[in-house]
Amino acid sequence: MSGAVNQREALLRLGASTAEAIAQVLEMFAPGEVERGEVSVLEGEGSPFASLEPGTVAAGVAYVDGVTGANVFLAPSGTARLLATKMGAGADVEDEAPLTELELSAVSEASNQMMAAAAGAVGVVLGQEIEISPPQTRVLQTAGEADELFGAAPYATATTFLVGGAPCRLVQLVPSAFVIRVGQAMNEFAGEEGAGAASGPGAPDGSGPRDVEETLRGITMRVWAELGRTRLPLSDTLTLPLGSVVELDRHADAPVDLYVNGLRFAEGILLVDDNGNWTIRLTGMESREPAALTT
Amino acid sequence: MARVLVVDDAAFMRKVVSDALTAGGHEVVGQAENGEEAVAQFTALRPDVTTLDITMPEKDGLEALAEIIAIDPSAKVLMCSALGQESKVIESIKLGAKDFVVKPFQPDGLLAAVGKALA
Repeated sequence: MSGAVNQREALLRLGASTAEAIAQVLEMFAPGEVERGEVSVLEGEGSPFASLEPGTVAAGVAYVDGVTGANVFLAPSGTARLLATKMGAGADVEDEAPLTELELSAVSEASNQMMAAAAGAVGVVLGQEIEISPPQTRVLQTAGEADELFGAAPYATATTFLVGGAPCRLVQLVPSAFVIRVGQAMNEFAGEEGAGAASGPGAPDGSGPRDVEETLRGITMRVWAELGRTRLPLSDTLTLPLGSVVELDRHADAPVDLYVNGLRFAEGILLVDDNGNWTIRLTGMESREPAALTT
Repeated sequence: MARVLVVDDAAFMRKVVSDALTAGGHEVVGQAENGEEAVAQFTALRPDVTTLDITMPEKDGLEALAEIIAIDPSAKVLMCSALGQESKVIESIKLGAKDFVVKPFQPDGLLAAVGKALA
């Protein structure tokens, strides 16, 4: 049986969940223009903000109620202006001009929405809902200012993104208690699956812990197919009578989307097998690769 | 056409919501950037509809919602929040919100929610 998840593995899992949630929100602001880099664990005594450029917009959101820690979204001024423009808050000013209040507010709101999505993703890992604070957004000149504003934590991760080719970064400040909780959640999940996998092909031989990526790739995830979707006011959904017809957004012959743990990864054609069960023949896969995990 | 109070701690979101409402033929009669201001503005303006963010400084949207409903049990309040957790939605509805719109949202979705609240 594989060994217990260690702190580094827990940090990487936390970083990957958060990064994926954030990439999906950025994708809504800049469709097809978002690239996500690798998650890295920041080690050593130095500031996690050591590479901060002067004029960087930093938007920090803390987790409150249930877990502690913070996520800080860092965007150099050019990236911040680009993101604000994508959101519809572009200012008719010279590129070198300071960011306007509206542009800063747009980046702050983007961070709010990204961190809410991240909180949702972390909540799935921990099995509980996570609350977030209102974002703190500042234009910073030095790493020292970031350290003073956002504080320190025993652990930190970083992920780099490109939005329209412009770089931005997420730094996660992670208290020890949070790491332990993520590790416990991963161990519980792996333990639930381990009993079922013990006699199957590829089962661990008990010779030692598997590496991080193999461990994570072996975890069973929920996969589902989506026929279509629509948007309804909550009051409508609560009062729909039996027999109601709800129109979805795609034709009956259109491919269905396949999701793994909330992430769209493929599409396919809906079929019925000889036993009368629904099956799906895959006809396309998402081009983006999952973020590679550093060791 | 409705008289609407827009509440969000982000100036950008107040602009997005206000622009959507104005384009939809409604009148934005006031704005607030936290829960304290929201309750004060509601009391002063008595809008037809209030759009209310949840995560705000000073006083969050759920606290403000409870106070607004206490002032006027027939108040029409739409929650607009990035937090779409089931517990938040349920709590909002229990406190008296008419609807819950999750950010990011399309202007049509917001206008539909306003229309539903006014019906």
